Formats: sequence, C-alpha cells, structure tokens
Amino acid sequence: MNTRSIRFRLTVWYAVLLAGLLALFCASVYIGLNQYLKLTLRDSLAKEARQIGETLLVNISVSGEDYVDDEIKEHLAPEINGTFIRITRSDGSKLYESGPPRDSSFDPANVSATRADINQESSRVERMEGGSGLLIATVPFTLPDGTRFVIETGALLNQSESVLHGLLLTFAVGLPVFVAIAIAGGYFLMKRALLPVGEITRTAEQITSRRLSERLPVAATGDELEALSVALNKMIARIEHSFRHINRFTADASHELRTPLTVLRGELEAIARRPKLDEDVRETVGSALEETERLSKIVESLLSISRLDAGEALSTPERFDLAELAASTAEQMRLLADDKRVTLQCDVRGRAEIDGDPGRLKQVVVNLLDNAIKYTSNGGKVSLTVSTTNGNAVLEVSDTGIGIPAESIPHVFGRFYRVDKARSRQMGGTGLGLSIVKAICTAHGGSVSAESIEGQGSRFTVELPLANNGRDHEPN
Amino acid sequence: MRILLVEDEEKVSRFVVRGLAAEGFAVDAAADGKAGLELGTTYDYDLIVLDLMLPGLSGTEVLRQIRRSNHHVPILMLTARDAVSDKVEHLEAGADDYLTKPFAFAELMARVKALLRRGSVERPSVLRIADLSLDRLSQQVKRAGRRIELTAKEYALLEYLMANAGRVLSRTMIIDHVWDQSFDGATNIVDVYVRHLRSKVDDGHETKLIRTVRGVGYKISDETD
Repeated sequence: MNTRSIRFRLTVWYAVLLAGLLALFCASVYIGLNQYLKLTLRDSLAKEARQIGETLLVNISVSGEDYVDDEIKEHLAPEINGTFIRITRSDGSKLYESGPPRDSSFDPANVSATRADINQESSRVERMEGGSGLLIATVPFTLPDGTRFVIETGALLNQSESVLHGLLLTFAVGLPVFVAIAIAGGYFLMKRALLPVGEITRTAEQITSRRLSERLPVAATGDELEALSVALNKMIARIEHSFRHINRFTADASHELRTPLTVLRGELEAIARRPKLDEDVRETVGSALEETERLSKIVESLLSISRLDAGEALSTPERFDLAELAASTAEQMRLLADDKRVTLQCDVRGRAEIDGDPGRLKQVVVNLLDNAIKYTSNGGKVSLTVSTTNGNAVLEVSDTGIGIPAESIPHVFGRFYRVDKARSRQMGGTGLGLSIVKAICTAHGGSVSAESIEGQGSRFTVELPLANNGRDHEPN
Repeated sequence: MRILLVEDEEKVSRFVVRGLAAEGFAVDAAADGKAGLELGTTYDYDLIVLDLMLPGLSGTEVLRQIRRSNHHVPILMLTARDAVSDKVEHLEAGADDYLTKPFAFAELMARVKALLRRGSVERPSVLRIADLSLDRLSQQVKRAGRRIELTAKEYALLEYLMANAGRVLSRTMIIDHVWDQSFDGATNIVDVYVRHLRSKVDDGHETKLIRTVRGVGYKISDETD
C-alpha cells in the first residue's frame, strides 16, 4: 500500500476526524447522562428530605421523637431500600440515623458528620469503602417555633454508575467498529473516485514528444477530474503547437541558412577550379572555402540537435550490440591515435544489446574518441570500455589528456562551449560535438556525464538502457 | 547530354549552370516549378536536377507530375532539409538520388555522372594513373611495378580517388564513401589517412599523384596544374 497516495492519506485523515468526532460525541453523551442521572437522584433525595420535614418533623412536638423513628422505618425503610437518612438537631446531636443497609453496601457510620449551621439545600458525594459513591442531599428544616433540623437523605450512585458503565462498554466496542467500517467504506469510495486519475496518468505517460497529437480521455462528469483532463489537454495542445512551431522554425532556418551557404560555396569552388590562378588567390579562396565548410557543419549540427531535442532525428529503433559497435568504431579510428602516438585501448567484454539508432550512437563513439585523441598528447593513452550494470549499457571513454578544469565540467555539453577557446578553435570542430553526443544520448533515454582532473585526464560516461525483451523501448 | 535544372535561387542556379556547362553539358534552367514542369514534360532531357523548395508548384509536385507522364529520366533532388523522412518520401515519389544543400560542386558532379552512367555500368577491373595501378580483383596496388601494401581503409580510399581520377573529392564525400556519416565529427580522419596513403604511394617518386586542393578536398591526378 502506498502510504503517500492521496487515497491513503485522505482515508487516514477522515478516519482520524471521524474517530475524534465520535469520541467527542460519546464523551458528551456520557457526561450529560451522568449529570442527568445525578440531578434526578438528587432532586428525588431532596424531595424525600423535605417530605420528612413537612410530614414528620412538623408534628414532633406533639407526637415525640420516637414517632419520627417509627414512621421512617415503616414508610421509608432505609435499611431495606439501601438508602441513608439522618436528621440532626441544631446543636449537632442526631435525632435519627438509618442503620447499615441490609446488603451492607455502605456503612452509615462512615458518613461524615453534619454541619449543623447549614441553612441552604445542598448535595455532596461521599466515597464509601466499596468504592461506590453515596449521593447525599442536605435540606435544612425550621419548625414554625424556630427549632432547626438538618435532614440528610442519601442513596448509592451505583445504579446510575452501572448504567454509565454499560454505556461506556457500548461506546468502547461500537466506536472502533464504526470507525473501521468508515475506513473501509472511505477507502473503497476513494478508489472509485480516483480511478479516472489512474487512467489520466497512464495516458499522459504515453504522450511523448512524438505522440503529441494524442489527448487524455475526458469523461463528461462535470467533476474536478473532468476539469483537470480538459486543462491538461489544453496544455498538451499548447506544447504541440510550440513543437510544431519549433519544427517549422528549424525547417525555415535550415532553408534560409543553407541557400546562401550553397551559393557561397558554389561561387568559391568555381573560382578554385580556374586553371590559372595566383597562388595567394588560391590560398585565400581555399581558406574561405574551409570556413564555409565549417559554417555548413555548424548549421547542420545545430539542426541535428534541434531535431534530436524534438525527438524526430532518430531512425526506427533497431536492436544491436553496442559493445560490437564501439569496438569496430575504435578500430576504424586507431590510425588517428597511432598518428598522434597515443595508445588506444579497447576493453569490451560481453554483449550490450540496446534498441536505438546505430548510426547516431556510432556518432557518439566517434565524437568521444575523436575528442579524447585530440586532447591527449604524445605517449598518452585513450581507453574505451563497454560494460553492463543493472539494466544499463555503460560506455566509457577515458584519456590521460589535458583534462578539463572543474569549473568547466558542468558546461562541456553546452552548445558552443569551449574550455580553451584559442586552442580548441585551432583544432577545428564546431563546438557542438559534445552537445550532439548529449542530444543523442537523451533521445535514446540515456545520459552522458563527464569527470576530469585537470592535467591528468578526463572520463566521459554514457549510459543507455539495455534492450528488454518484453516491453519495447521507445526512444523519444 | 542535356540537363534541366529547376532552381529558384538565382545565384545557386547560376553557378550550377556554369559548372555543368564547363563539364560539357547543355543546361536549361527553370526558375519555378511551373516552368520546370513545362520544360521537363516537353523536352527529352538526359537528367533533371530539381530543387525541392520552389515557388508556385513545389518540387515534390513537379517530381510527381513528371513521373506520372511516365518519364524515365533520372531525377536528382536538391534539398535544404535533410530529415530522413523527407529523403525516403522523395525517393519513393520517384527521385533517383538526393543532395543536401549546401553541397560541394564536386559531389553534384559525381552524382550527375553516376546517374547518367546508370545502365551502362563500366567498372574496369584495373585502374591506372601514370605508373600507379590498382587491381580490383586481386586488390593489389603497384607503383612503377613495385607492390604497395595498404590497409583496408587505405585501399578503399585509394580506389575511390582513382575511380574519380582528376576530380576533386571533398572530405564529406570521402567520409560518406569510405567511412560513413557517423565519422563527420572526427575532425581530421580523412587528412590523417590521406597523409598515410600519400607516404606509401608518392614517397620516393618524382610525380606526386595525390594532391590537396585547399578548402575543397583531394584528388588523384598526373596532370601538372
């Protein structure tokens, strides 16, 4: 499961929110019910106390204190009902106190003494030894003759406590179950809701620079995903438009630059063909022709790079062995190395099958080797290796040449970048060789990198995806 | 031999006409597609050189219409675009060869001659220049009767030069013919090979056969300039 997916994260968020809200709800129900039960009990206790005052104590001067005792025992039977009744005189002495209840759920002796000066109704809870609370209502009562009593009636809270416990149990079991159901439901709903996103992603992945005419599927649901698909399609249309524009510009520029170059070259060659020509004129014309040639190469290279970047300069990919191509190319360039007394070593082991344009990739090998030989002095060494590592063919060209200053390395693949301006221009070349190498590698879904120690040598590493036998690799 | 050149760029047209005329061809020039089509379908040319980008009627259209009227005349396309798809398209539409601008005149000449030769292929088994001989069957090269040992590439280079004796071959032509286009980036491979070949062929002989034409390329010839 992808824990970073929107589906997962939203579900988690909703679950947390839902669990929190449910817990809050349960807590309020619990607290409310608790309050309600206590209040009801207190009210009935206070009512009972007032009744004792109004029906029994009013007659105390006539019927005597024993009457009160008997009446309470007969009508209220606190010991049998498990309740507590205590009547205290204003001097603090007890007029009546109920005995221990029959189930001995509490001991009245443990109830704290009454404060005789109370003149307001109140209630309190006292913890009994059994752990349950005894709710006691205190009601002051004054006879018409001014005699004051404090009547206390109490009942155990355990009944309402057991109701609350039951509720708590229901919550404890119900809440996780509800949350679990909500998570499952939410996860499923998210899957359904995000299904079109997967489809959009798959289609978008297939739209490469070569297939810009394709569009994402738009389901007319009126939802955010439809809006997204429409917006993405508009963006693809704009990209397609600018690609077309670039391609047209490339074609136009190619025509516009090539025609004058053709004329220039043709006219100069016509002069060069004249049989009787002063030697200095021949030299001048020759030099002009050389520059024309170079200009043509630059134009050609620039157009090549543009087209490679636009993904259209490669031929239909074919499967071939890069190791063999590299080895045979190195052989063809051996004389260049010999001529400079540079040792060219070729270390190619095994096969490295890739899908691509062999002509273009040969150009990569030629450009890298040519560069390496060019910048390595007599007695130096240039070596070429091809190997394979996890899914990639790796081609390395290293030399013991002059190297590249560290600050120049990030720029060596840039167009017209020259490390040593005077020197490299003297060597000829267009300043585009490595740019072309990079464009070709990128167009094949690969990469090229350079590392170097100035004065000791450089190494260029090309990595290209190996051909996989199942899926067709599509260079773009 | 009569050649039709359909090219709208006046200056290009002018030097091609002059160059072809200097080689002994009769050349008619048309400056747009319509005129080109008219000339091409009216007269019986030995070869048509057709620019791809023309005002009015495009080169592609002219090519199709000339081919539709069932002319077997060889057609060489000139193009300022070199996308692979373009080339394939025009070869399929009936062009016999194509040349990308800017081109070396020597290359245009070589292709024109190749197209005109077509059908009557003469491929002598022994090529000779002065006292240098190259036997295509035994792949033996001799100068003044003494055998010269050449590597495969040096042999291919010498054969190409001798097959085009007296004509200047540009570096691009040599690379395309002896190596392949991928070697365009190798700045001086042709020069290095020519130097090695020259030392084997010309060293110790009074007449230097392999010559450099500055800015243009190389040629093999025994004529004195």
